[in-house]
Amino acid sequence: MIDDAELLARYRGVRLDHTNKEFYRGLLERELRLSRCADCGWWHHRPKPICPRCWSKAIVATPVSGRGTVHLVMFLYQGPPADGVDYDAGPHPVVTVELPEQEGLRFTSTIVDSNNDDIAIGKAVELTWIERDGRPFPVFRLARLQ
Amino acid sequence: MDRAGRPTVPRVPIGASPVIGDSNPGKDRVAFASAATTGFSRSQGEVTPASLAVDACIAAMKDAGVGAGDVNGLVGANPQYIQSALGIAHLTYWNGPGIPFVSAIANAMNAVYTGAADVVLAYHSLYRNPMFSRSAANDPFRAMDFGFAGSGMSAQGGGDGFGPDTIAGAVGYTAWASRYLYEYNASRETFGYIAINDRSNAARNPAAALRDPITMDDYLDARMIRSPLCLLDMDVPVDGADAFIVTTAERARDMALPPVLIHACTQGMIAQNEEDQTPSLRNHGQHVVVESLKKKSDIWIDDIDVYFPYDGFSFITVSWIENSGWCGLGDARAFIEDNWDTATGRMMIDGRVPVNPHGGALSEGGTQGSGHTREAIHQLQGRAADRQVPGASKALITAGGFFFNAQGCVLRRDD
Repeated sequence: MIDDAELLARYRGVRLDHTNKEFYRGLLERELRLSRCADCGWWHHRPKPICPRCWSKAIVATPVSGRGTVHLVMFLYQGPPADGVDYDAGPHPVVTVELPEQEGLRFTSTIVDSNNDDIAIGKAVELTWIERDGRPFPVFRLARLQ
Repeated sequence: MDRAGRPTVPRVPIGASPVIGDSNPGKDRVAFASAATTGFSRSQGEVTPASLAVDACIAAMKDAGVGAGDVNGLVGANPQYIQSALGIAHLTYWNGPGIPFVSAIANAMNAVYTGAADVVLAYHSLYRNPMFSRSAANDPFRAMDFGFAGSGMSAQGGGDGFGPDTIAGAVGYTAWASRYLYEYNASRETFGYIAINDRSNAARNPAAALRDPITMDDYLDARMIRSPLCLLDMDVPVDGADAFIVTTAERARDMALPPVLIHACTQGMIAQNEEDQTPSLRNHGQHVVVESLKKKSDIWIDDIDVYFPYDGFSFITVSWIENSGWCGLGDARAFIEDNWDTATGRMMIDGRVPVNPHGGALSEGGTQGSGHTREAIHQLQGRAADRQVPGASKALITAGGFFFNAQGCVLRRDD
């Protein structure tokens, strides 16, 4: 279990607060945990202090399976600098992935170990992890079975 | 003149000031239905400004006997986050006014009086600043959050630890443009027509930044920035400004230029307003704007003489054309080609309605809608020089994008 002191130290400069801290704590523990209502079961992202459906405060950062389908895709020919991202080496892909846990629940990150030509809307992907800025960072890769 | 030789402002007694009027047509027309609080303390625990705001909002709604489905206006900090958190389905008005709170009261009163919103939820949260509170300074999760009534992910490169790997912010339009091409089996030429139209129009606007005509080949050869959008799909950064005088219609009639009346005006936002959680190309802020304007306005697309769809990205214009009902969803390219004036290289809907005749954000400059508004007024005042639409009396502006800034306005000449 990553305690608060370590969480804050490792995310220095990132806007952590009481609502999103469990999301980030999950990342450090290599688990993608999205907000889910313990009362009505509704998922939401990005983190909020209440359930947008029933207004319960019983929000639990809950692991998702990590499987999904590419819903949106873009390729950045330029962009903000980031550890491990080299725009000169080729356009950097960003995908929004529809997750199976709930219709419309999506998560956005990059996709790794793929040729850009193979990345398209509708492709099946799965969660994996890379290191960025010395922290685990959730990314996707194309699923073997399409 | 004062002793340094500078001209001095004449002193007018406040009671005699001609700019402090007694007009108050909204008097007794707007009321508070409830007021609620979380209470205040120096130890609220693991809260954020937004979590406090939603607690107070829920209490106020329950006290008044209204639910999220009854509210269509929000006044307070970061209303898009509060809407999303409370699951308020549709907003037609929101604003984040300054402090103290009477700013919010005035804002809500104005919104209700004008019909911009029927039920406004106004809120204000206070959060101990670690700079000024020892107990707050001992809570490390407050350090990054003071004054920000939201939580979670921010725009690309904006300090959420995701660097470029987000579609939050302006890049979201690129991501959804990919969805448009996919769902409607469309091609980038659809976007290219928007860029060409703007540039052809800008040639007749001496105020425009980019006035050299472009072709479809120019568009398709342009440098890619964020595929599927290229340099010519994105508005052009400029220096410049627009300014406006707004007053009552009566006073405007006594001024130097013909009045242009605000016939209807709305905003539009849905609960799932985060860029990557937006439900679909058929359910976002633009659809709220269109429904709201159609209900408020006696004038709609068949009645107007000039059209101003926002074009911060070409894809936004394509979406406005379809969502406003000029053509079916996914049919923009065929519609544009059917209404294309080959001689001038621009759209002329039904042979008579130009689209962003000043050149829009893509060619006049990225004015974030002020250029569109200024040109609409000039057209309706008969002051649009070489660009003048003969006899223009009605204009439609559909501004903003999908997520947290869709807006619409119908303007008319004072006939």
